[in-house]
Amino acid sequence: MRTLNTFIATFIFCFSSYGVSEEVPKGPNGKPDLNGVWQVLNTANYDLEAHPARAAMQLVEGPVVPVPHPDILALGAVGSVPAGLSAVVGGKIPYTKKALKQRDENKNNWLERDPEIKCYLPGVPRATYMPYPFQIFHSESSFFIAYEYAGATRNIYLKDPGEPPVDSWMGQSWGQWEEDSFVVETKGFNGQTWLDRSGNFHSDQLKVTEKYTLMNEHTMQYEATIEDSEIFTRPWTIQMMLYKKVGRDAELQQFKCVEFVEELIYGQWRAKD
Amino acid sequence: MVNGEQKTSLMKFLFITMIGLPLVLLGAEYETPKTWFGDPDLQGTWTNASLTTLERPDEYKSLIVNERDALIAKRMTKEFVDAQDNYLEPGETPKAGADVGGYNTAWMDFGTELFKINGDYRSSIITYPEDGKLPRRWIGWGKEAIAIARMFRQADHPELRSLGERCIVGFGSSGGPPMLNVLYNNNYQIVQSPGYVMIMVEMNHDARIIRLNSEFNPDNMRRWLGDSIGFWEGNTLVVKTKNHHPQQKFRAAIRHQILISEGAEITEKFTRVGKNEILYQFEVNDDEAYKDVWKGEMPLRASQEKIYEYACHEGNYAMANILAGARAEEEQ
Repeated sequence: MRTLNTFIATFIFCFSSYGVSEEVPKGPNGKPDLNGVWQVLNTANYDLEAHPARAAMQLVEGPVVPVPHPDILALGAVGSVPAGLSAVVGGKIPYTKKALKQRDENKNNWLERDPEIKCYLPGVPRATYMPYPFQIFHSESSFFIAYEYAGATRNIYLKDPGEPPVDSWMGQSWGQWEEDSFVVETKGFNGQTWLDRSGNFHSDQLKVTEKYTLMNEHTMQYEATIEDSEIFTRPWTIQMMLYKKVGRDAELQQFKCVEFVEELIYGQWRAKD
Repeated sequence: MVNGEQKTSLMKFLFITMIGLPLVLLGAEYETPKTWFGDPDLQGTWTNASLTTLERPDEYKSLIVNERDALIAKRMTKEFVDAQDNYLEPGETPKAGADVGGYNTAWMDFGTELFKINGDYRSSIITYPEDGKLPRRWIGWGKEAIAIARMFRQADHPELRSLGERCIVGFGSSGGPPMLNVLYNNNYQIVQSPGYVMIMVEMNHDARIIRLNSEFNPDNMRRWLGDSIGFWEGNTLVVKTKNHHPQQKFRAAIRHQILISEGAEITEKFTRVGKNEILYQFEVNDDEAYKDVWKGEMPLRASQEKIYEYACHEGNYAMANILAGARAEEEQ
């Protein structure tokens, strides 16, 4: 009997926590309040697709198995890659044959090619699932996201501003409410950002449609549909959860990494003592 | 006979002429709009582009500038812009070996006239000391002289160049505090959420996140643009900033050069005085670099323009060229 009661209690708990919409806090115009500091708890920035743990982001041939590239060898376990399931609906990114070859080349040349290594602006949707939080400032007249990584920012227009007048790293975004989801369309990218550390990439034809859906006070579902006919055979979607930071943790810190990469980028031109 | 409808119209007319009109003529206080959570609403895109500079140029003898002198300043600026943009005759090309110049004024945004506060043109942002000049403590500035000279003349290491050239923060004190106008990118976007006021500074896409009714972070947390907390005094947002970044001590732009010591305490006030204007006031308390406090004020005017992405580091060919050029010169 006791076992049955425990089973019923567990079932009720699970049912109330998942799959049933809970009351969500309301913000401006009675819409869900998305304000706050949010972050993913996943490994999508390492690789959007399913990946086992491995020794390093860039490997070279070893005597028995691949070993870390000499330039990151000294990092040991700190430079290794944690495993993760795929954030891609359906599991695989639908690359064209040519683009898939490019992705693999990118992966094999990660140290030279990943824009994150040089602290370049992250682009969309990568900014969302980097291992740094971001803060949403959401009012009746504005929707703005400040990302901790590289101090990247993104103003999301609340009316369609028309075609982007110029290409940019973070693109031009505009959003509107579709029932209780905030849907953001972004295009006008310069094609120089990546989607993760595993060489997944796009061209300047990228269009991203994001959907932010508050599930309860502390969790939000994030979905991004990626369209780029130069690189992919069809539109594809990623899905993940965002978690709200609370208490003293709910403060965006500064990670202006430009100064951290000056030696990497400009070190070769320093004056000799 | 006056019917009911006419009586209502007459009452409305009397109310407007006897009460409403005098209020307008007396300059009735602007009713600050409120955000959805009840705070005074400062949101929007604002610019502080202006011919008025931080310190008072010597040709002006007082804070207030008369209409004639303000018009002269405006006309001279227009002439400068024309000369800068059209220095060659149609079809003419620069002479070989001659200076081809840098930016033309399409890249600049220094305003077209002196700013006005309460209807008066101003000669400086500084309102105190009354001479409109920074009360520099020359010993403090002397200590910084070597670093300052190196910043402009030497190219041994990237860290010795200015923060603007390094793409870490904007030139001068564009991001503040205090937020001062520079040659270009004088735009700010303010967005508010419960407990926060966020000011996005165009140069260098810096989000100044002001925590309301909060406490300062520990002294060893030295943020770029300092650590800012704020509170409301009626309809005025008061922002206190300290724990300035040690590398952000000397802030140099063409239009101002200031020192902000690590221990400086800066107070800023933002008051919306109209639909299209915020009065921005500040006070700098920095014993190490100045003999006295200094205060200033300027209007932030509403802008309908879009703020584009300021991606500086990603295209910073200049830094590589400055350093590589210096190394090449050494080898000659």
